[in-house]
This record gives sequence, structure tokens and C-alpha cells, in this order.
Amino acid sequence: MQPTSNRVMVIGGGISGISAALDLADAGTEVVMVERLPSVGGRMLQLSETFPTLDCAQCTLTPRTVETGQHPNIKLLTYSEVVEMHGEPGNFRVKIKRKAPRVNWDDCTGCGACQEKCPKLVTTNFFERGVGTKKAIYTLSPQAIPNKPVIDAENCRYLTEGKCGVCSKICPVGAIRYDQEDYYVEEEVAAIVVATGFDLYPMEAMGEYGYGKIPDVIDGLAMERMCSASGPTAGEVRRPSDGKVPQSIVFIQCVGSRDPEHHKPYCSRVCCMYTAKHARLYKHKVHDGKAFLLYMDIRSTGKGYEEFIQQSTEEEGLIYLRGRVSRIYREGEKIVVWGADTISGEALRIDADMVVLATAIVPNPEQKALAEALGIETDEHGFLTEAHYKTGPIDTVSKGIFIAGCAQGARDIADSVAHGSAAASRAQAFLARLRRSAA
Amino acid sequence: MERIGVFLCWCGANIASTVDVHQVVEWLRDVNGVAHAENYMYMCSDPGQELIKKAIREKNLTNVVVASCSPRMHEKTFRKAASLEGMNPYMVEIANVREQCSWVHQGDKDAATRKAFNIIMSTISKAKANNPLETIRVPITRRALVVGGGVAGMTAALELAEAGYYTALVERDDTLGGKMRRLSRTFPYHEDASAVIAPKIEELKANDNIKLYLRSDVTEVSGYVGNFQVTIETRPTEGEDGAPEVVTEEVGGIVLATGYDLYPVAAMSEYGGGKVPDVIDGLEFEELLKESLATGAPVKRPSDGKEVESVVFIQCSGSRDPEHHKPYCSRVCCLYTNKQATLLTQQNPGAKALISYMDIRTDCKLTEEYCQGNIEEKGLVYIRGRVSRLYREGDAVRVWTADTLTGEKLEIDADLVVLAMAIEPSVGAEQISKMFRAAVDTNGFLQESHIKLRPVESSTMGVYLAGAAQYPKDITDSVSQALATASKIQSMFASDELHQDPLVALVNPEVCAACGLCVPICPYGAREVDERARFSRVNEALCQGCGACVAICPNKACMLKNDTPMQVLNQIHTFLGKEEPAQ
Repeated sequence: MQPTSNRVMVIGGGISGISAALDLADAGTEVVMVERLPSVGGRMLQLSETFPTLDCAQCTLTPRTVETGQHPNIKLLTYSEVVEMHGEPGNFRVKIKRKAPRVNWDDCTGCGACQEKCPKLVTTNFFERGVGTKKAIYTLSPQAIPNKPVIDAENCRYLTEGKCGVCSKICPVGAIRYDQEDYYVEEEVAAIVVATGFDLYPMEAMGEYGYGKIPDVIDGLAMERMCSASGPTAGEVRRPSDGKVPQSIVFIQCVGSRDPEHHKPYCSRVCCMYTAKHARLYKHKVHDGKAFLLYMDIRSTGKGYEEFIQQSTEEEGLIYLRGRVSRIYREGEKIVVWGADTISGEALRIDADMVVLATAIVPNPEQKALAEALGIETDEHGFLTEAHYKTGPIDTVSKGIFIAGCAQGARDIADSVAHGSAAASRAQAFLARLRRSAA
Repeated sequence: MERIGVFLCWCGANIASTVDVHQVVEWLRDVNGVAHAENYMYMCSDPGQELIKKAIREKNLTNVVVASCSPRMHEKTFRKAASLEGMNPYMVEIANVREQCSWVHQGDKDAATRKAFNIIMSTISKAKANNPLETIRVPITRRALVVGGGVAGMTAALELAEAGYYTALVERDDTLGGKMRRLSRTFPYHEDASAVIAPKIEELKANDNIKLYLRSDVTEVSGYVGNFQVTIETRPTEGEDGAPEVVTEEVGGIVLATGYDLYPVAAMSEYGGGKVPDVIDGLEFEELLKESLATGAPVKRPSDGKEVESVVFIQCSGSRDPEHHKPYCSRVCCLYTNKQATLLTQQNPGAKALISYMDIRTDCKLTEEYCQGNIEEKGLVYIRGRVSRLYREGDAVRVWTADTLTGEKLEIDADLVVLAMAIEPSVGAEQISKMFRAAVDTNGFLQESHIKLRPVESSTMGVYLAGAAQYPKDITDSVSQALATASKIQSMFASDELHQDPLVALVNPEVCAACGLCVPICPYGAREVDERARFSRVNEALCQGCGACVAICPNKACMLKNDTPMQVLNQIHTFLGKEEPAQ
């Protein structure tokens, strides 16, 4: 069978997808990268620092996003979603929905004037996770690749109320297109890498933890935005309800994880480490603040991770309590956390200023439909299923379709990067076999 | 006359909240030779790079200084941007005003602003004396070498061979399969480990692109990325006489997959130091299970062949113990111990399995469910605590421990004790690391070049890391990592030649006395005295520009390109606000 092309599609522009795409592109393979959001970078773009070195996440990420944006072998289709696939291994035809940014990206120079002048502050922007605002026309970050804004149609005053139009007036190149519509394109590729990442288990499902009712109970990604120097609070930890600097924070691990009866049975693998990191970042910012960490088991299994935890307890003064929380409620200005200390056997009550929940890692909600469109399998939780647990972690039941990163199961950045590169290798080996059989 | 452009990055608030970026630009505009100065929120962003390109174009700049983060981050980004406008990329210099200024002087804006200016001025003085350089081009030998025939090494070799590249696989043992050959079943599906590995071994043997070197060791490595020469010594098969066979392979890329060994039970004096019978390590227990599974007979203990009725498994034996043993977590012990206890209850119905643990770390896909399911269904007993002592008591091994959840002290008699010993780098890993110039971490594991973004790259270009040699990991992650190394090598082999940074050492032959001091000091083996010409040469492909030869050269005959002693002295003088010494 003659392969259509020497092209590979990478679905997902997070760090796994980027690793796969850059390796493939460096190897001379043409890559079509499809990303759901307006720019690439994925979850890592939301993070503040990374464990165990506490390096700035954006600083390590941006060289890669810049390279992805500039690589001559990578075609970027951001703000786009795969909707259908036809054909067969070696000859996939993939239909992609290109969502309307309502900005003509060809004309837009990325000057940022529209974002600056837009009068509408949106507090519900998914990226900031309730910690801060974005405008109704926005880019995900000032270093966005590509650096082109999109209009948030649900919040744009012109689109909802028919008035305003500030961005259209201010845009020096006349790139605003309020009436722009979604359209579809088709790409022909020989192989596909699926690296669609993860989401957090919705805290709304965690009634016992008061989420939704208590604004100062936030999730791990919200904490990342709060700690991020380039985030909406410029790195200051302030509680959402009244902007006060919390003098004590309770961090709760395994929220929704390891709970087969009520929530997810699995371990989310990264929460122990990022929670320790959050608590340390908080202590670095609020020196006399108290950080309580409630855990079931501390799982610090990667290189340098155990040492990081040791240092956290011995030198950084984090207070680890083994136990599970039963109830969280508000009492005056405080948030009361009730639980049991399973080492002392005593009931536990902490009056805190803020609570951070390490909620379970789940696949993105769109992943199931995508897997169906691609004809690959998912497990009961929606994670993509590998061909063989031990020796085929990247392959799927469908030839020519490979999986990488958290879409397959929770893992940290280093493992996601290795997974992405591994997927690049599998795709290349697949192309090489096609070429050999065609020859 | 130079026309220098200076671009000061805010790095969001990282620099701008500590350094008065507008003041610095004001000062720079008065500096002789500075044709352009501006600041921007993120210079590395697309619009930021566009500012640099525009200024090069419009103001006809001869040099660019970007004052931003460490050059490790974006030097490449800015050099590329400049080269797109026709500027030689080595005319671009980075002034690090973030790590070396704003991050360390938070709260003292005036001083930080002055220091940022001084750093920039000092970098300008260096930039002025830069010369345009061309990248060094080296050819690539499109053949690979994999060291270690365990599951990681085999996976890497097969993948490279599948991609069409000749691959030499060196294994010191006389069989392939590594530690997996000793395993009974794998978690969580209880597949026969040998059956998982066997088809891979057959594939390897049948693949024409693979050259197998069994019973072989690497004895010497020379060369550099794309062009290594590796000497391999093969011992004669056991029982045969004869000298070892010595072969030299020319390869372009190398995968180190030298695996692990278990920390010896003998090192655990608290657990009898290997002298108490029926106290064995995890791999020895795998072999007992393997035999039992093969024959259908129950697991028997080594000392007297008694059918095992009770086993105490001790996790973290030698791990997570910075004071006495290894500080790190060995990552797989929680998983395999649970599996071993489960298989024991299957092979020896009615046998009791008791597991001593610190934390249960079942964090890989499906393993939490697997482990919890086994605890419930097989009645495995987990006791949180550290075993303080064990010794022989009559017919049994007596184990002293304390349950840290109930506070109770416990004395348990068992037929057999299985120690989940810490995983350490395999014997010989140190020599491998030295030969291949691949750095190791404080625990002796091969060190990746960036903990997050370069997990399979070693400190030496062209040498990659896979499997437990880098850090303890399970089979699945070893396979993923091995595939990743294959990807890196395929990317390298896709080009006709490699482009290397030309910021290397240079020798002035007229000053060089051929004393040879630079030869042993060079960590990369890049220096050689040309006895005929009577001066020391630099192998530019090997040189990494570290400057060791510059420091040791008594005659000042060595220098680094675009980092000459004069440039360095000028930088120091400028930084201190003194006159530049005469050129």
C-alpha cells in the first residue's frame, strides 16, 4: 500500500504533543499539529514552577513552544478540533473543525491593542480557573504561540448586546470579524499521535469539600495560576473571596482519587509532588504561614522526589498529617476542615484561611468522542488504552495511531516528554515499514 | 563603528518588578555605540522577536544584546531570530539580568537597576569584540550502539533496526532479557515475564540490522556525537579457551541501558546482613515463584525445602533511609511486593502474607486498583512501620516491628522473609559512565540533561539513557524511555550532517610551546599535540568550549572563540566601572 504522504498528525499541543512533533519534524517528517485551544503549550502553560527543582514552568516551556511555532516542518492548526476520520493506516483523511476566532489571523499582527482596550473583564475564563480575569478578546499568555487572540463569544459585549465594538475600532489592521464562522478542513496523514492531555475532576462533584459554596476552596490548577509570576495575581497568594493573604492553608491530597466507592479508584500520580511544591511556594511567599498537608500515602517515586519531600518536612516546615477529610465548611472568616488523623487516631480540626484540593486527574471530556472518531479504545475512566501494558505502551489496537502523555494515564512532565518522543519513534517506525512495503 | 541594539525583557514581572526597565533604556540611549535600545514584556514572544528583527533591518545593527533570562533558555531563540534578518547569529549576546540580577535582588530596585545596567554594559563590551562565526559541520555515521540487553536496551535496538539503521547491541551476559528473565509474572496482568520477553529476543536475533555482541563489554570509547568509535571485547564461551575477540564499531548515536542491581542484603546489618537463612531479596523470591509456577508445586523456603506458610515482605529495605542506606524511593517495590504476596497466596493456599511498608506507592496506571483488589481478595496484611530487627528463632525468622497506626509493638515469626531491596545502578555503571562521559547523579544513576524536558539525553551529545540505569522504573516506563531514545537517534540520523556551536577553543600556533598541559586537562579528549608542527591542536567537534585549556595554558596560547581573555577582562573592567584596558 502506498502511503499518502510522509505526514503525521499530532493531536494535542501540550508538552507530550510538542515533544512528539519536534522529534518528528527534526527527523524530516511533516507534522500537522491540531490544538483545541488558541495556542500551544497545554497544561504546562498554566503551571507556576515545576517540582523538584522549582524551575519556572513557562521558562522551560517557551523555548519549545517557540521552536514548535517556527519549525518549517510543523503546520499548526490551533483553535481546532478533530471531528472525523476516514481512510486506513497510511492513508488517513482527518476532518478538522477550525473554530472561528472572530479575528482574521492572517491580518492580525498580535499587537495586543484589542486585549488592552476591551472593556469586558471575564472572571469565568477556563484558563485562569477563577483566580483572575481575562478580557473578552484574549490570548492565553503574552508569549502565546501563535500570538493571535480569539473572541470569547459568550462574553463579548458586541456579540451578546450588540454594542461596544471597541476591539474592531482599535485594531490597526482591521482584523476583527464578529461574523466569522467555524469551518472545516481535511488533512491527509499517514499516522496519528494522540496526546490530548488531562483535565481535573470537577470539584462540583466533591460536595463534601464545599466546593462551589466556599470560594476559598480552590483546586490545584487554580493554585498554579495564583503562584505563577505571570499569572493573574502576579504570583501573590491571595484568597479569592476577599483578597487577603492566607495565614494558613490546608492542602488535601487524593481528592476524588483512590476512592473507588464515590469517585475514581486510581491514583493520579502527580498530586503528592505538586502539593508539596504548592505548600513550599506558599511558604516562600508567606514566611510565617502554616501549611498543612493531608495525605493517605506520600507517593514521591521519581528521581529526586523523595529527597524533595524529606526537605519539605525537615527544612521547609510543611506539616504532614495522615488522614482523610470528612467535612469542610465556612465559619466566619475561617474554613473549618474536619477529619481524622489516622496516626494518632484522633479527630482533627483545622481552622484555615484557604483550602487547596488536589483533585483527581481525568481525561479531557472531549477525549471519548475523539477516540470513537479515531477508532481507538478507552478504559472505563476514559483514558486511552495501550496495545500492551508492558511492551506496547504507545501503540493502540489501530495500526498507525499512537498515544502519548496523560491522555493514556496520569504522569508527570518528564514522563510525558519521554512518552511524546516514544510516540514519535513509533510513528517513524510505522512510516518506515510503509515505505519498505511500498518499495 | 559598531551599531549595537539592546533589547531589555521584562519577563512579565520577573525582571520588571525589580529592575526599572525604562530607566535602564534611558541610560542605554546615551551609551556610545548603542544605536537602539528598547524594552518589552516578553522578548521571546513572537512580537518581541519581531522587534529585534525590525531594529536589525531598520537600524542596520551590527550586534544585538538581549538582556533577559539565562542564555540556557533563549540564546538559541534570539540567535535564530537575528539570523533570519541576515545577522551572523554569533553577534548576538545575552545579558542575564534575571537569574543574576532581578531574582536575587528583589526588594532593592535601585541597586538592581544599576546592576542590570552594568551587566548590560559589560555584555556590550564583549559583544563589540565578537567575530562572526560559522557553525561546525560534522558528518554522521548512521549506525547505532546500544549497551545493555535488558528490556530497555532490546526495545531501543529493535526500534532503531525497524527504522532501518544498523544497530550493535552489547550485552555482558550470554543471554538477552536482562532482569526480566528472572521475573515470574508481571503486574498487573500476571503475564509470564519470559513469555513477554521471548518474542522480542527472537525478533532481535532475526533482524538483519542488528549485530549482537553477547558476553561482551565496551572497553574504550572515542569520538563525538555522530562519530563515535567503540571498542567491544567479546569473551569466549564458557569452557572454551582463547583470547577475547576485539572489534571496533563506528556509530553515530549511543543508548546506555545498563539497568540495575539490587542493593545487597549483606549491607543490611539490621536484617542480619545476609547471614540469617531464609531472608532473601525480591529477585530471589521471583525465582522461587517462577519455579513454583512452572512445576505447580508450592513455594518452598531455601534452607530446608519446607513449604512456606507465612512470609513477611519488608518494603523500603535500604530505600528511603538517607542516614544508613539510600535516600531515594526505588519506585517499583510497592508494586512487585503486592504482586509477590498475591502470587504466594495463589501458589500456597492458606499461606499468610504480611507486608511491612512506609507508604504504599502504587502510582502507575491500574496498579492502585490492582493492589487494593489484592489486599481485599487475598487478605494481604499491610503493617505500616519499619522493621527494626530480624533474627533466627528456632525454625523461624523472627521479625520485630511496630505498627505506627496502632502504636503496637509486634513480634512475628515467619517461614520466609523477603526484602524488597533498594534498586541501585548495575555493577560497572561507573566505568560505563566514565567511558561514555555520561555524568551520574549523587546516587550513581546516569544523569539526564534536564529533569523535565530532556529526560533521555545524557550530558554528552549523542549519548542517550534508557531504563533503570537512569533511575528505578517499571518495565512499561523503561520501554517508553527506550522508544524515546530511538526517536532522538532517528531525528539525528535524518540529517546529512550535524551543526555544532563554533564557540570552541582556538590555539595561536606561534605562541604555543607544545608543552601538552592542555591534553590531560581537557575533559572531552579534544586536545592533541601535533609533534611535527610543534603545537597543540583542537578537535573542534569534540571541544565543548569549557575553557579548561585556556586556564591551564602557561603561554596564553589558548583562547575561546568570542570569549577571548581580552573580552573577559574587558567585561570585568566594564562591570566594575573602570576604563577598559588597551586592546
